[in-house]
Amino acid sequence: MSSKLPSHIAPAATPGTPSRQPVYALVGNPNCGKSTLFNALTGLKQKVGNYPGVTVERKVGTAYTQHGHPLTLIDLPGTYSLAARSPDEAVTRDVLLGRRADTAMPDRIVCIVDATNLERNLYLVHQILDLGRPVILVLNMMDLARAAGLDIRVARLEKELGIPVIACEASKGTGIIDLKLAMSRPELPLSRHAWTVPAAIATAVSELQASLQDNDKKPPLIARAEALLLLTDQDSVRVAGSTPLSARTEEILRGWEKRWETEGTDWAGVLVNARYDAIGELTAEVVHTAGDLAAGPSASDRIDSVATHPVWGWVVLGSIMAVMFLSIFTFAGVPMGWIEGLMATVSGWVSALLPEGELHDLIIDGGLAGIEGVIIFLPQILILFLFIGLLESTGYMARAAFIMDRLMSKVGLNGRSFIPLLSSYACAIPGIMAARTIEQPKDRLVTILVAPFMSCSARLPVYLLLIAAIMPTDEVPIGTKVGLMLLMYALGTFGAFGFAWLFKKTLLRGAPPLMIMELPPYRLPRLRDVFMQMVERGGLFIKRAGTVIFALSVVLWFLASYPKVPDDQNDTDALAHSYAGRAGHVIEPAIAPLGFDWRIGIGLVQSLAAREVFNSAMSVIFAVEETGDEDADTGHLRDAIRAAERPDGTPLFTPLICLNLMIFYVFSMQCISTLAVVKRETNGWKWPLFQLGYMTGFAWLVCLGVYQVGTALGF
Amino acid sequence: MPDSTPERHRPHDLPLCQLPAGGIGRVMNLQGDAAFCQRVREMGFGEKALVTKVSGNSTILCQVNGCRIALSHQAASQILVEQVTGRLR
Repeated sequence: MSSKLPSHIAPAATPGTPSRQPVYALVGNPNCGKSTLFNALTGLKQKVGNYPGVTVERKVGTAYTQHGHPLTLIDLPGTYSLAARSPDEAVTRDVLLGRRADTAMPDRIVCIVDATNLERNLYLVHQILDLGRPVILVLNMMDLARAAGLDIRVARLEKELGIPVIACEASKGTGIIDLKLAMSRPELPLSRHAWTVPAAIATAVSELQASLQDNDKKPPLIARAEALLLLTDQDSVRVAGSTPLSARTEEILRGWEKRWETEGTDWAGVLVNARYDAIGELTAEVVHTAGDLAAGPSASDRIDSVATHPVWGWVVLGSIMAVMFLSIFTFAGVPMGWIEGLMATVSGWVSALLPEGELHDLIIDGGLAGIEGVIIFLPQILILFLFIGLLESTGYMARAAFIMDRLMSKVGLNGRSFIPLLSSYACAIPGIMAARTIEQPKDRLVTILVAPFMSCSARLPVYLLLIAAIMPTDEVPIGTKVGLMLLMYALGTFGAFGFAWLFKKTLLRGAPPLMIMELPPYRLPRLRDVFMQMVERGGLFIKRAGTVIFALSVVLWFLASYPKVPDDQNDTDALAHSYAGRAGHVIEPAIAPLGFDWRIGIGLVQSLAAREVFNSAMSVIFAVEETGDEDADTGHLRDAIRAAERPDGTPLFTPLICLNLMIFYVFSMQCISTLAVVKRETNGWKWPLFQLGYMTGFAWLVCLGVYQVGTALGF
Repeated sequence: MPDSTPERHRPHDLPLCQLPAGGIGRVMNLQGDAAFCQRVREMGFGEKALVTKVSGNSTILCQVNGCRIALSHQAASQILVEQVTGRLR
């Protein structure tokens, strides 16, 4: 067809018209250097948020033309095809088709492709050219293509497609000026690339297009593109997304499908293959291979022979994970001290500004203390993001998923669930957000449901305190303490895998996931991009700490401080008298069979803010004087809880109780912030409430078993 | 859905997972549901495409269109290829 654009759907705003800032969309396959190009074009002028209704990251930036006019650039999620499969990909499709009310339909589209792999990358470009919008094609990684012996004739490609084609090396900044020049052009030619829709389905495409125009009120070229998508992806509901098809269009589609099924025509296959044939003809003209491509393994192949080796692959992955966790738990110590210092200073200022009273306590002991409890983990989370960013930008992350796939497939998940579960060791919140890249909705949900079993860093202080209480002296070899700690991490991991298996067998039964994943060539990491991504993700985390968690902390502070007791009573009595203290009493019958009393109950209630609050709750209950020296405080707290007794004079924190409490912290769902994120990610309260119920119920049952068996055995 | 048509089943086609490492195969037939076929075609495993199997038994690593793709064993077993060349075990 010839995609000559009819004048009536010419872009509403072009760089020449001053009425509205022109909108450009940046589109490409995953791993083609899209983010690097986006950063190069927009610098630090970026805004990251979410598309309303779906939890897909929305990145918008401002770039400038050669004449200094600002233009809006939207970085759309990477995809291989407009026939979207995951929520991320659906956003790309919907923005390009002008279906999203919150995002203006882009005036122009910048398609970025990996020049080393032109054929596969051009598939998406081919679909986008059908939209009849002005397109600029960016051939990225031209240096790598040359190194691989590929000679890409840019001028020829430009002539064949009829659109500007820019050779570029985004990571080195070459080609960016040419791209900006092209983006600054007041007029852009439309593609004149012609491809033939296979005869078997051409009539159907015309009929569907006509119906989409007449009955669904789509502009002509969009109607054509949608007709082609409806035939590419056979799930018409998924293609239609938020804009359901009219009855007439649906009828035409079903009619054709029925007819083809009787004839034995694989219409989707015919269509995809026809596109690839057209692309094949194009690349045959444009790409010449200089030299012998098959001459020996590339550097990536040599690395892969170790990194994806059935034995050495595990060794490499294990070593990287070990280095990552060691870094998280050692290097984070210093900046965590700074944050504590900073928060103490802020508290000091606020304290000096506000007179003693309710408001003072609310802000200092409620809000600020709650925020500190969360942002204290910022260094650990930043280190985690740094590692994830490095592993992603070098291309190793795909290999890790590849290796883990063997393990994950045993419980019915695929390798893509690895990154969310790994992130959850630092904090379940970024882990759950990372599940967005999982294509199958059921697999994504299973991953979200089990991610909080991974022991997050907020559990660490609780484990440390309880292990110290079990083994207070230095006579116990350090290995035993570390072993007990690792046991807790292992329990959580097995819990996650076990429940994933169970859910995939029962509640969320689905076909075994079929992992198909591109392994991009290894590259040196772009530190600037990694750093920007780390700051961006850290920023989102802080933003949440400043809003949701502040509010939750204030509520929990209120519960722990009211109703007030007369001034002559001490803090311990005040807490016992408070709503949280009463809640401790209320839940005592439920937790007594696990060996926990109401004082531990208060700790459990307060852990809803963040699990490590357990420690400070215990400090208040057992009236430990804080000295400011963390080690000494932990030591004092350890001694205090070891000295704690039940009313009958027996010790409260026996080794069995400490162990049981740790097991409870491993399995139970205690974090309100996580539940809030799950609610947002699953668009409702159903799954977070289910998660709260099943995790806490399971924790209760396990702890009941451990305590009852333990006491029967005389521990 | 348009699953594989009977006439395209040929006895000497073998699933991609059984292609020996280093071997090259031509994709002859895709089995499985429509969504799977669509995705693998769009990733370059369309009928007639040439695939080089790099390694793997449980998870398969192969090369198509100059691009490395990892597939689970299950996915690879649904892609039938005709062996064109390559080392035999």
